[in-house]
Amino acid sequence: MAVRRALKAVLVDLNGTLHIEDAAVPGAQEALKRLRSSSVIVRFVTNTTKESKQDLLERLKKLEFDISEDEIFTSLTAARSLVEQKQVRPMLLVDDRALPDFKGIQTNDPNAVVIGLAPEHFHYQTLNQAFRLLLDGAPLIAIHKARYYKRKDGLALGPGPFVTALEYATDTSAIVVGKPEKTFFLEALRGTGCEPEEAVMIGDDCRDDVGGAQNAGMLGILVKTGKYRAADEEKISPPPYLTCESFPHAVDHILQHLL
Amino acid sequence: MAAWGDRLAGVRGVLLDISGVLYDSGEGGGVPIAGSVEAVARLKRSRLKVRFCTNESQKSRGELVALLRRLGFDISQEEVTAPAPATCQVLKERGLRPHLLVHDGVRSEFGQIDQSNPNCVVLADAGESFSYQNMNKAFQTLMELENPVLISLGKGRYYKETSGLMLDVGAYMKALEYACGIEAEVVGKPSPEFFKSALQAMGVEAHQAIMIGDDIVGDVGGAQRCGMRALQVRTGKFRPSDEYHPEVKADGYVDNLAEAVDLLLQHADK
Repeated sequence: MAVRRALKAVLVDLNGTLHIEDAAVPGAQEALKRLRSSSVIVRFVTNTTKESKQDLLERLKKLEFDISEDEIFTSLTAARSLVEQKQVRPMLLVDDRALPDFKGIQTNDPNAVVIGLAPEHFHYQTLNQAFRLLLDGAPLIAIHKARYYKRKDGLALGPGPFVTALEYATDTSAIVVGKPEKTFFLEALRGTGCEPEEAVMIGDDCRDDVGGAQNAGMLGILVKTGKYRAADEEKISPPPYLTCESFPHAVDHILQHLL
Repeated sequence: MAAWGDRLAGVRGVLLDISGVLYDSGEGGGVPIAGSVEAVARLKRSRLKVRFCTNESQKSRGELVALLRRLGFDISQEEVTAPAPATCQVLKERGLRPHLLVHDGVRSEFGQIDQSNPNCVVLADAGESFSYQNMNKAFQTLMELENPVLISLGKGRYYKETSGLMLDVGAYMKALEYACGIEAEVVGKPSPEFFKSALQAMGVEAHQAIMIGDDIVGDVGGAQRCGMRALQVRTGKFRPSDEYHPEVKADGYVDNLAEAVDLLLQHADK
């Protein structure tokens, strides 16, 4: 493992870590302020595919988080870049609210499939359409492959299971652009001037947040909020650098031990 | 490849897949594949034993047989090995109470099974019922169990309807496996127990039996792993790339069931 250097950047997950749907994690706003009063650069990285950047920002403002748009890096941004780079016309299986992030992209006569978290599209007929495009050779671009996420009424299926279904049926592999892909974490750091060895990621998803960041060379801190379930920290090897109660505890640890 | 005479020597029993071999399902029930009605009749008039081995899980066995009879096939319920009845037996043996994610057409097969307070999920080809809400309900049921048991009626990737290829139960099984981090138990092809029960019902040893199907992995690969021979038909879900499958090589490829039966009547049981 590379020698660790002084910490310069902190990546923070949004839903499940700073807030759970429309409620802030207790103490998270103050903790973010404490973190910002130190010298580190803060970035917010999210696999939330339901919402455009603008929607995310509005919710965070309503919850009184001090965050600006250029600090947010989402998997939708990453997906759009790939579509442009490949010059394909995607069938967009994404939530309607995410469509603003794809404004200007050609979608007629599709020859690619972009799949995000879109419960309203995850029905038999629509998935069959996507399946047939893939059999004809269209690439499958997955915004992320999260297994499930936490809603107010309990755990709910993420896009990952549906991506896996299409992969199995067509015997192909999706190109995944969101967490836990290494390129996602490196892209998120771009512009900060920091190396992965100088960064830490805080999130509630053991595999996608913590495992992904650690694979990219960062430290990973798992918080026991959001989708966390008992013994999640045992799901990855090496284990999380740290597992703690919630975002404020993670910030305290960083301020006391990593700076 | 060896001559047909060598490849088919000693065959005494024939297992027939149904969907994609006898007929293609679709609007209004479906249509028989050209020549298949006569082929089944000819096979039944021969000395060869015949049994039907299907992963059909949208319809009850009774409904399936009624549909096939309407299409002109000589077939009865007792001649069909299907996953729903086999699943009921597993549920009873193990005291499992299922949450069903199945098509309404097959629900009646589970009429005698206690479904209160579920301790497992049974997944079948639910068709239109594969909605996000229904998948989520199955997922939540599994996640609440200390020891989650997922039983899938087959694990096919896709099958052919008259309107085109459709995702099969296997895709949705993989979705739930991935979501819950578990492995499903498959009742149906290609599970060896399922093939063995069909062979037993037919009264023929594996090495004297041949499977005819349109699924290179589920039908051909599965039957061969049980010691049977297997032919793939170029109907139903067949795709040209199947003949170059990296892992499975059929004992022969034929245009349709009619050609398979021609060859069997000419060369088998000699």
